[in-house]
Amino acid sequence: MADAIVKVKNLKKSYEGKVAVDGISFEVKKGEIFGILGPNGAGKTTTLEMIEALRQIDGGTAEIDGIDVADHPYEIRAIIGVQPQSPGFQDKTKLSELIQLFAAAYGERVNPKQFLDEVNLGDKANSYIEQLSGGQKQRFSIVAALVHNPKVFFLDEPTTGLDPQARRNLWNLIKEVRDKGISVILTTHYMDEAEVLCDRIAIMDEGKIIALDTPKNLIKQLLSKGFKKEQHVEQANLEDVFLDMTGKGLHSE
Amino acid sequence: MRVILYLVIVFFVYRLAWRAFGKKWWANRETTAPVSKKPLGPVQRKFFTIWVFFVVNIKRLFRDGTALFFTFMFPLIFLFVFGSFSKNSGTNFHVAIINQSHSPLAKAYVHGLESSKIFKIDKSDTTLAQAKDRISKSQIDGIIVLPPGFGTQKTGQAPPNGQVQLLYSQSNASTGQTLTTVLQGTLKPFNARYVNLQQPFAVNSKALNQKNLTSFDYTFTGLLGFAILGAGIFGPMNVFPELKKMGILRRLHTTPLRVWQYFLSVMVGNAVVGLMSLALMLAVSIAVFHLHVVGNYLELAVFLAYGIVVILGIGLSLGGWAKNERQVAPLGNIIVFPMMFLSGVFFPRFLMPQWLQSVSTYLPLTPVIDGARFIVTEGKSLLDVGPQLAIMTVWLVVIYFIAFRVFRWE
Repeated sequence: MADAIVKVKNLKKSYEGKVAVDGISFEVKKGEIFGILGPNGAGKTTTLEMIEALRQIDGGTAEIDGIDVADHPYEIRAIIGVQPQSPGFQDKTKLSELIQLFAAAYGERVNPKQFLDEVNLGDKANSYIEQLSGGQKQRFSIVAALVHNPKVFFLDEPTTGLDPQARRNLWNLIKEVRDKGISVILTTHYMDEAEVLCDRIAIMDEGKIIALDTPKNLIKQLLSKGFKKEQHVEQANLEDVFLDMTGKGLHSE
Repeated sequence: MRVILYLVIVFFVYRLAWRAFGKKWWANRETTAPVSKKPLGPVQRKFFTIWVFFVVNIKRLFRDGTALFFTFMFPLIFLFVFGSFSKNSGTNFHVAIINQSHSPLAKAYVHGLESSKIFKIDKSDTTLAQAKDRISKSQIDGIIVLPPGFGTQKTGQAPPNGQVQLLYSQSNASTGQTLTTVLQGTLKPFNARYVNLQQPFAVNSKALNQKNLTSFDYTFTGLLGFAILGAGIFGPMNVFPELKKMGILRRLHTTPLRVWQYFLSVMVGNAVVGLMSLALMLAVSIAVFHLHVVGNYLELAVFLAYGIVVILGIGLSLGGWAKNERQVAPLGNIIVFPMMFLSGVFFPRFLMPQWLQSVSTYLPLTPVIDGARFIVTEGKSLLDVGPQLAIMTVWLVVIYFIAFRVFRWE
């Protein structure tokens, strides 16, 4: 792939003899949303952490924008943004200060207001992080990871624990990030999320990638094998009802 | 009463500081000020990072009531408690006076003893038997008895005379001898009044060191050490595992932030806040306990800042290594308690046996406390406390070597 920004070859990791990631390879294109799906314990988070230079790579190579992850961890950290599974921020610190703090970690001096406005948190600049709702926290966490304008953005299960409105809001936000030309790699175990959000997905199980394609193609392949859903498909489901009744957009937070 | 008054004053100062730092001062300036677009150089960037971390964390501290209490008020409470102890032990001899004479001279003599600073007169005893009982319990050092007829003028031309009787415990012979000499001195002016004595030989004594070390001097520098110990070790030991638990350090780990940058921001922050806290202790000590600072304040500040940084390294090692609070608490106690009792925090080291003194000289906190005392009470310069600085520097290297080796982001 010529326009690949992330290249992973034969990546391996084991913990005390137990194989967590078993020689996986994939590439992520510039400006796409790449999803890694799989049940808990499939090795999704470990894979992400190795590419993010947070965890020692046992075997194989990972490369971002032509830079080897194992050899140049600090160069890698400077061009990636990371949203961990449960984002933690220090309390009693204003959002504007946290933005400055994260920018400073990258050696950047920024105007916090501009970043907070991007995620509709401009009026919360002087609030403390503990005063935000779950969805606001997620939005803040995303913008805090993007203060240095990274080339690749990693999200580990970004919508776990959010209500449907906040999830949809976050999906739009992630798409906006992608539309700015930033490649997005995310893990999830929600199939609907992968289908709506991801341009391509890799399905992992027991440390291996067992399928890698666009969601559409994967569904097509399954259908071509003669698969039929037993239940007949409705034009709406309960989630649509819920969203219709409670308002599709944001809560008036 | 005075203590309460000072506590109230300190409380208001602290409230004011909280308002100034926590609400208005920095906050407004920072949200309204336009961001300068001047690009930073590569080295500047590294230190800009440290600066922003330092500023944000200081602001956070001033919004945290609990942290403020432990940083500023807690050492002060100790200062008041221990300060009032050491204030009472200023007198040298606790004695009881049994005056069995009714002569005006005896009265004058007793009055002279009472106004002397050398004696603390115990007035609870009225009979000799009571006083003897108290001496056997070591509650007083001696009994001064003026027998009946002391100082009365006998018929004839002879001047008034009498013998002061001193009773002391056999187990405390040296005190008895000293008291004897002191009492002889007290009789001198009386003798001179009646007999013109020209002594061919005499002792001419002269005090060499006018800056007499009081027990409060030891208490004060010991408590400085206590404050440094608390902020430098217990602070990071509690905060770091908490930061790890909340995933805050883990998140920082995803950025190019280096461990040394993070440590340096914590070091500068601790040194600045620590100096503020120590300055408050110093101010209270001067105001309430009449501490007489002989040394140079700037040199003292530099020395203490260095001490804070050295001791902080222990906290950074412990907190940086620990995955959670439970893991680090026992280890922290093993390290902190010997220093608390052997480095001269709660009682001066000269009270220890010689071998223990020579061992405790090399504990990391000992040179900090000793050096601070030398500067505060003896007016020594940074050059004079070179030996202390040398021990501290060896520890600095060792401690920070360990701190960097064992640090974990999660």
